[in-house]
Amino acid sequence: MDMANQLRIKETADKFGTDKVVVVLGGAEAESAGLTAETVINGDPTYAGPLTNIALKLPVYHILEIKDLIDPAIYEDQISMMEMVLDVDEIKKEMENIRQQFC
Amino acid sequence: MLEKGEAVVAIRVVHYLNQFFGQIGGEEKADTIPFCKNGPVGPGTALVNALDKDMTIVGTVICGDTYFNENIDIATKEIVGLVAGFNPDLLIAGPAFNAGRYGLACGAVCTAVQKKLQIPVVTGMYEENPGADMYKKDIYIVKTGNSAAQMRNAIPALARLASRIANGDVIGSPAEEGYLARGIRKNVFHEQRGSARAVEMLLKKLKGVPFVTEYPMPVFDRVSPRAAIKHLSQAKIALVTSGGIVPKGNPDRIESSSASKFGRYDISGMNDLTAETYETAHGGYDPVYANQDADRVLPVDVMRKLEQEGIIGQLHNIYYATVGNGTSVANAKKYAHAIGEELKHAQVDGIILTST
Repeated sequence: MDMANQLRIKETADKFGTDKVVVVLGGAEAESAGLTAETVINGDPTYAGPLTNIALKLPVYHILEIKDLIDPAIYEDQISMMEMVLDVDEIKKEMENIRQQFC
Repeated sequence: MLEKGEAVVAIRVVHYLNQFFGQIGGEEKADTIPFCKNGPVGPGTALVNALDKDMTIVGTVICGDTYFNENIDIATKEIVGLVAGFNPDLLIAGPAFNAGRYGLACGAVCTAVQKKLQIPVVTGMYEENPGADMYKKDIYIVKTGNSAAQMRNAIPALARLASRIANGDVIGSPAEEGYLARGIRKNVFHEQRGSARAVEMLLKKLKGVPFVTEYPMPVFDRVSPRAAIKHLSQAKIALVTSGGIVPKGNPDRIESSSASKFGRYDISGMNDLTAETYETAHGGYDPVYANQDADRVLPVDVMRKLEQEGIIGQLHNIYYATVGNGTSVANAKKYAHAIGEELKHAQVDGIILTST
């Protein structure tokens, strides 16, 4: 997760409180989605960014995991195309794995 | 730099980082000149917890990768000076994973500190990092994964070897300790005599069962230079780049990192690459200047001029491009062989290779 995005998440959490922020990811690969999820839960695992040693414990989901909460027309328009080409099961498995490991 | 009133610790460790892990910034800060901070920074905060209790990171020296690699002599001198200021007992650099310039910096800094300050040094890298090949004979380089995603595994490995070195332990073989082989042989006693072990290995080999050789053959990767081109004014010269210059839109979809292919592109009649016609597909560096004028990476304009002036015979009308960023050595070799065959077939006399 790049430095600018880590900083944005940190500032948002500081401003609204960690109980009022949910992170939704759109990463195309399971590994990168998992690393991003780990970063916003447990801190930056690469120890390079603003979230180093900061465990915000934010709830985090991949967009593909919350399909049921989204207006079907908008999902169809914005996400469905990517849903066809991505490894959905692998992404969901990794997200679940990270949440179990760090939450 | 011992501050007034600072507790004297048993083993003083200094940590070297690049601008990224030093939390200064990405590529846009790669020209950062060397400076130091007291205490651990970034990965150092994880190292502290993994090192032996009596070891403390008293300071961190940070330098931008571009600054280091463009000013190796001065930068090394400056960094050695900053490290010395902390009066350390040990230097740890990185880990650099597969980041080439960072790996070279870690290797050069460790080697210089070991020589000038006469203290032990440890760094960590992926084995294909160019810094690994260059410095593994001189220093301990702990084997790591190829990206920062492997930090979790790299830190304990680095800390373990650093702690053992700091304690004055006898360091075992590369396989036992997890560092890259340094080409050093040591005599040891074995309970079984050599002939018995050799027969055992031979039997395993005959059965197709895996076995570990006691005498790995060195792998030499030396390319002997070709004879000089006799008549440059009659020579056909080709351009090949790992800098990712592709026709606008990247028609072959060459990946910005870990390229799985190379492209070949016709530049017949082309005298100048412009922002409208060419761009770079290369990730991991600031592409603005390459996109503004791709000749900066693939100098078609200059080559055409040399062609017109008769300094070279002609510029080959096909150029080849791939992305060097994170591309494995094995794949790079594969592309080089394929490109080489085609260029040989096209009766090219010389090739100019350019990178980012």
